[in-house]
Order: sequence, then C-alpha cells, then structure tokens
Amino acid sequence: MSFRVFPRLVIALAALALAQPVFAHEQVGVTGGLASGLLHPLTGMDHLIAMVAVGIWGAQLGAPAIWVLPITFPLVMAIGGVLGVLRIPLPMPEVVIALSALVLGAAVAGRLRLPFAVAAIVVAVFAVFHGHAHGAELPNSANPLAYGVGFVVATGLLHLCGIMIGTLTRWPAGGRLIQGLGVVIAALGCYFLAQSLGAIA
Amino acid sequence: MTYRLVRASIATATLIASAQAADAHIVASRLGDFYTGALHPLTDLQDLILWVAMGVLAGSLGASKGRWLVLAFPLGLLAGLVLGRTTGFVSAGPVADAGMILVLGLLLAAAPRIPTAPLGVIAFGLAVMRGAANAGDVGSDTNRLLFAAGLACVGYAAITLTMAVTLAFRRPDAGASMAWRGIAIRAFGGWIAAIGLMMVGFAFASHSL
Repeated sequence: MSFRVFPRLVIALAALALAQPVFAHEQVGVTGGLASGLLHPLTGMDHLIAMVAVGIWGAQLGAPAIWVLPITFPLVMAIGGVLGVLRIPLPMPEVVIALSALVLGAAVAGRLRLPFAVAAIVVAVFAVFHGHAHGAELPNSANPLAYGVGFVVATGLLHLCGIMIGTLTRWPAGGRLIQGLGVVIAALGCYFLAQSLGAIA
Repeated sequence: MTYRLVRASIATATLIASAQAADAHIVASRLGDFYTGALHPLTDLQDLILWVAMGVLAGSLGASKGRWLVLAFPLGLLAGLVLGRTTGFVSAGPVADAGMILVLGLLLAAAPRIPTAPLGVIAFGLAVMRGAANAGDVGSDTNRLLFAAGLACVGYAAITLTMAVTLAFRRPDAGASMAWRGIAIRAFGGWIAAIGLMMVGFAFASHSL
C-alpha cells in the first residue's frame, strides 16, 4: 500500500514544484498579512500558553464547555480585537494577559470545577484582553483581512490543541500529566506577571 | 516496486529539469478573458471567505434547501456584474462586506433552521454584491461575455463543491457519534464571525481616520 503512495507523492511534489503563481488579481500583502496573523499568537509565549490552557480547561470541564468554548471564544476575542483596532485602551493589558496564564494554569492544575456561567465569564474577560493585543496590530499589517484570518485560525488551532491534550484526562495517568502541565503554565504565568509588573527584567 | 519508484523519481527529476514557463496563446485567442473572470474572485480573499461561508451554511442546512443555490448563486453573480457595469454600482463598501462576513459567520455558529426562501435571498443578495464588486475590475478591452461566463462558472463550481463537501462532512444521519462534526461546522462559523466582526471594526476605524 505504501509503495502505491510513493509514486503519487512524487507526482504531487512535481506538480507543486512546477506550479506557477496566478497573477490575475493578486491582493496586496495577503501572504505577509496571513503569516503575521498566524505567527502573532504563536510567537507570544503568554498568549500561546493561555490559549492552550483554555482548551485544556474546557476539556476538563466537559460538556457544554468543551463545545461552547471553540464556538464562542473567537467571537468574544474579536470584541477585544475591535477595541484594539479602534485604539480604545484597556487597563493594564500586559498584566491581565499574564494573569490569564496564571489563573488558567492554576485552574487546570487544580482541576477547578466552576459553574459553567462563571467559567465562561472568566474566560471571556481574558479573551477580550488577548483579542485587544492582537487587534491593536491589525491596522499596521500589510493586509488586515489576511491578518485577521491568520490570528483567528491560529487561536482556534491552539484551542483545538488544548482540547486534544485535555482528552488525556480519560486516563488517570493522563489526568496527572495534565495537572503537571497546568502547574508549568501557572509558573510561566507567574514569571510573565512578575515581568509585566516590573519585578524582573 | 522499488524499481517503479526509481523510474517515477527519474521521470519527475527530468520533468522538473526541463520545465519551461507555459506560453500557450490562449490569451491571444480571447479565451483569456474567460479565465480572468474565473480566476478574479479566487484571488480575492473577501470573495473566498464569503463564498466558502455561504456554501458551508447552505450545505449545513441540507441538500433540499441548498440545491437552489446551485442556480441562484451564479445568476446573482451575473446580475451583480450587469448591475455594476450598467449603473456603476461597484461595491457596497467595506462595512457591508465585513457585515456580510459577520452575518454568515453568526448564522453558521448559531445554526438556526433557515427556511429555503430566506436562504435563497441571502445567497442571491451576496452574489449580486460580489458580482458588482468583480465588475469594478473589468477593463475596457475585456470581453465582457467571456468574463461573465468565467465568473458564473466558477461561482457555480465553488458553491456546489463547498456545499457537497459540507454535506459529506456533516452526515446528519450518522447519529450521536458524529455530533462533533456539527460542532466543528459551528466552530468554523465562530471563526468566520470573529473575522467579520474585526473587519467591521477596522472599516469603521478607517472611516474615522
């Protein structure tokens, strides 16, 4: 079976190598905007760990959090994004983003089971601050639409990654591993919090 | 089998080494305007997002509701193209485009049971909007008939394929074990809505600057 795949793979690679770009109507800066949007949530460690922690906590909480989260989180984050685009300031954004990693990491580590509405409010508040940070960069990007697509997709994939890690809770050892991961996220959150407060360089 | 693999690799290497840029004279035969019309929306991110969102929405509602779009969508594109060429109405503006992305995303995320007629109206309205937007780039030396044929054909193909893929993915008769597929489509709607919301904000911010 695998031998059948190889020639097809070679042909596919050839097709890719021979492909020419289409210049009918190339929008300006799509590739750059998409790349910067995709990389923005991935290159900021505080964003990255908080988004993964949201997915893990959602998986720990189970239904309905596990499916409400991926549907509504991007939308709530976009509200923060709009505030960022419109240059409406939020109080202490760096501190709250660092705090989000600390709180969400601690929730994962302690398997905190809050009522769904309370958990949703906690996550929503953090989502607005994370969205604000991404949205502030949007007007500066080469193609704002491509940037928006990139950062929403990257954030969604980070949640998905967290949810998939969170499914390890089905096994006792997996559950302990995830709690350990929560401790690491919370510790990193502490570091970012100290950094944002100026306690460390 | 390994021998076949080696042969395939050699053939591929030869093919790559001897590759030249294609200089077929299809443009000189005026058929180039057909491909211009077909490729124009596919190289525009706004068209891509809106068309895919529309196709996924129609596909998620089932074949019986979505099948009307196979006809309504390309006809709407043609109507918009004619409207754009005759009245000069090129685009409803960035706020309307972003608003449409937001509305389609919210409809996907909320997954309401949209009746066939309103779905057709939404699809036709969207197609008119995008057809008019594409009319803005029709040059004076472009063969309008070929451009329109290309645009309608790609609209038909894109909406039909997106609906078909969504229907095949959704599989509503597959039972509770496949319920995650419906959630995945709604999550996709959340992503689309988020993009639309930010673009609405950006459009307003651009206006105020």
